[in-house]
Amino acid sequence: MGLREVSTSLIEKELEETENIFALLTMGSFAGIPSPPTGIILRILPYMKREVYVMIARSKNLDDNLAEIAGIFSIE
Amino acid sequence: MKADPNRPTPAVKLRDNVDYVPAKPFVLYGHHFASIAGAGPITGPAIAMAWGWLPGLLWVWLGNLFIGSVHDYLALMASVRYDGKSIQWVSGKLMSARTKYTFEIFIYFTLLLIIAAFMGVFTGLATTNASIGTASILFIFVALIEGVLLYRTKLSFSVASIIGIILLVLSIYIGYAFPFIKITNAHTWYIVLAIYSVFASSLPVWILLQPRDYLNAYILWVGLILGLVAAVFAFRGFNWPTFTIFSAVTVGGKPSPFWPTVPLVIACGALSGFHSLVATGTTSKQLDSELSGLFIGYGSMFTEGFLATLVITSIAAFGMQVFQGAADALAKNNFDLNLLMTDKTYLANKYAGASNSVGGAVGIFTKSFGKMTTAVGLPENIGTTFAGLWVSAFVLTTLDTAVRLARYAWSEIWEPVKRVSEGFYKFIANQWVASIIADVLALLLIWWGSYNIIWPGFAGANQLLAAIAMITAAIWVKRVQKAKPAWQMAVLIPALFLWITVTIGLIWYLFVVVPSIAVALNKYMLGGFTVIMLILNFILVADFLSGWRKGPLPETETK
Amino acid sequence: MDIYFFLGKGGTGKTTVSASFSVGLSYYNKNKNFLIASLDPAHNLGDAFNIELSNKIKKLTENLSAVEVDLEKMIKEYLNDLSKNLKNTYKYLTSFNLERYFDVLRYSPGIEENAVLESIKKFLNMNEFDALIFDTPPTGITTRVLALPKLTLMWTKRLMDIRRKILDRRKMVENVKGKTEAIIEDEVITLTADEKEDQIMIELVSYSKEMEDLMKLFQSDLTKINIVTMPEDLALFETKRIIELLNKFKIKVNKIYLNKYLIFDNPPEVIKGKIIEQDRVIEKMREEIKNINIKDIPLLSQSPRGIEDLLKFYDNYILE
Repeated sequence: MGLREVSTSLIEKELEETENIFALLTMGSFAGIPSPPTGIILRILPYMKREVYVMIARSKNLDDNLAEIAGIFSIE
Repeated sequence: MKADPNRPTPAVKLRDNVDYVPAKPFVLYGHHFASIAGAGPITGPAIAMAWGWLPGLLWVWLGNLFIGSVHDYLALMASVRYDGKSIQWVSGKLMSARTKYTFEIFIYFTLLLIIAAFMGVFTGLATTNASIGTASILFIFVALIEGVLLYRTKLSFSVASIIGIILLVLSIYIGYAFPFIKITNAHTWYIVLAIYSVFASSLPVWILLQPRDYLNAYILWVGLILGLVAAVFAFRGFNWPTFTIFSAVTVGGKPSPFWPTVPLVIACGALSGFHSLVATGTTSKQLDSELSGLFIGYGSMFTEGFLATLVITSIAAFGMQVFQGAADALAKNNFDLNLLMTDKTYLANKYAGASNSVGGAVGIFTKSFGKMTTAVGLPENIGTTFAGLWVSAFVLTTLDTAVRLARYAWSEIWEPVKRVSEGFYKFIANQWVASIIADVLALLLIWWGSYNIIWPGFAGANQLLAAIAMITAAIWVKRVQKAKPAWQMAVLIPALFLWITVTIGLIWYLFVVVPSIAVALNKYMLGGFTVIMLILNFILVADFLSGWRKGPLPETETK
Repeated sequence: MDIYFFLGKGGTGKTTVSASFSVGLSYYNKNKNFLIASLDPAHNLGDAFNIELSNKIKKLTENLSAVEVDLEKMIKEYLNDLSKNLKNTYKYLTSFNLERYFDVLRYSPGIEENAVLESIKKFLNMNEFDALIFDTPPTGITTRVLALPKLTLMWTKRLMDIRRKILDRRKMVENVKGKTEAIIEDEVITLTADEKEDQIMIELVSYSKEMEDLMKLFQSDLTKINIVTMPEDLALFETKRIIELLNKFKIKVNKIYLNKYLIFDNPPEVIKGKIIEQDRVIEKMREEIKNINIKDIPLLSQSPRGIEDLLKFYDNYILE
């Protein structure tokens, strides 16, 4: 009954956020953030399918974070 | 609502397997309920017993049915129709952008009240019952161990879970048999809790928060089932007055008229604004079909109502025996046991004070629960310790998460300052600074008094949140759903009723309860909070009025 | 392999000096095979030798070869490869304008430095040569190129830390729920939590090893940095800046060639001021730059062109 969910949901959210950050750092030049030397980008970009996907997905909800965080962290 | 099974929910339509992924209804229900359940549905009803058992019960049932569940369901569905955006975001679109920011400040203050109130609840229990205090601290270590077992070892999920449950039972037993943490000074506990929450909320979630969240789910379901079974077996009638007097002393030591103050006492269980955040923050993005919304929105709320009912039932049936068992403590504090048991008016006026001798209203619940579970063969003190751990485990989680959320809201609130002074922003939004400030402010609220005074502040804020969420839903029903006037009223009237009740309740609180607070700093802080919240409240309503008058809106313009 | 870098602003005679150096050194060390490569987009090397040079290595003498690297072509090539690769991997990103990203990449700071470094790496792997001489791009780019390995290491370390955290959390979830499968537009990918299987980690590790080797090479005695400059105030200022910058990255400057030095028995009025400035600058230089050999090269009426001239130049002015 969703017990496995309850035991990992927070970790999974943290994981997604970290994947998001990894993608943002790598592709920073696209978003106006300092980015790594081009050499690194050229080497790892071909393998970042998942991370870029998470970044795009998360970017849709950037203006609506408070409720989401409140939802993840059960308060009462 | 015109819930349409053929209309794809955001989980289906926008499925990205990151935030938007449909979950099986039963799983989602379990998760949603676990998120909204906490120490709230236990504390409120326990305090409300001063009015007798029926008034509180009526509010739980009727409030839950006509307002609370409606609120949860509508918030959930409005969010579903808005591509899973939160109620806060929706209110920004339907009313004004200022609303969104106001909401955030509001939530921050509410969080401070939550931290303060729950620190009070925990301390009330731990200072009067060393078993509960011991079990609670031990449970923290159990959670730490469970985290390692679940996430770091090769043990299977089932094995790790079983070990965790065994350790959990062990900590209850050790608390029962060897209650070695005997701290009776409330202030000591406050400091401990403050330090705990600052550090716990800074740890990576897998270490403490996640495993404890997980184990809490077991405590919750066992408690509900155990409680239900025991209640059935133990039922011998209530020896608690059905109804005492209209203005029993529940809120902050003052005679509190049942209307409008009952929402200030019983929040979760009947109606809670925070649910709208949970429902629209994550649940709405995982709803597999519009039809499931009814099951999850209403279902979770009903289950919480059931929990509140269980609390009321156990105190109604065994509360008097608890008082009898504490005859000495009562006498020492000048409470007349005989009068408590026979004089309704005396009970109504002295319940709050008398319960402090047994750990507060929540203490009475834990002891009543203990007596009730003897009907299924459990030694009374184990039942009590279990019930105490039930409350404290959720409280400790809430302290952790409330500080995290407060940090986040705090940094968002101070964002406009970034443009003026980036250095200041970096300092004020620093993780440690924000956590410590939140805790210090909360401590200033609870330091000098018991949670009887803070609790209504928290509940009131929570209900205002709910009222605003319902008002948002009402506007949505009118402008977007373009519902017939009859349906509009079906939502608007309860929403207005709620809003009026809570606003008057809070004004009453401001003028009757706050001035009676002894310590000046405490008085001004709480008073200040209440005033700020009332102002924010009026701003939000002004935004509502302008939003209501505007014309119809097309649905779902979230792109 | 010995490596010689010749840095200098445009007009200081860097190409002439480096070309002459290569001719002389190869002449007097017949047992070694030399390559001189121009990394300067504004290639002058061919002019110095009076021989047409291209992107293909051309043998000039028994033990000296020369090449003018086409950086533009290099950049276009690897961006094209990447583009093809990515278009396949990221076809789900219909809303994500890949073309625009590549435009940004093409003109983002660092793309030329990367090409130069890759080019240097390529030559280092050519075992037929015993020594490499590089006529470098404008000093701004060159100093950044020399610093690039260290900078890259800082980034790879940071990215590897974050990557480890990702893999660590994945492992935790795996422990409870089994291997994570990501569904991206109907395609199911299994996400690994193992450092040895994670392609990104593998690339980061190997790339950082390459960069570490380069960094150590640049910091070692095998690498000799030569600055070609002129006896003018601004040139001195710039030279000091280069030395400081390279110092920060623990790269030592080997020698300074003070070129186009004015020597007049009877300087005409117009030039007198220049000579005073020149002498002042040289004194300042000798005072402020210790531990580095400074060699004067006078202004010649005619720049050396062709191998013979370059050898004579070497004998007269460069040979110690």
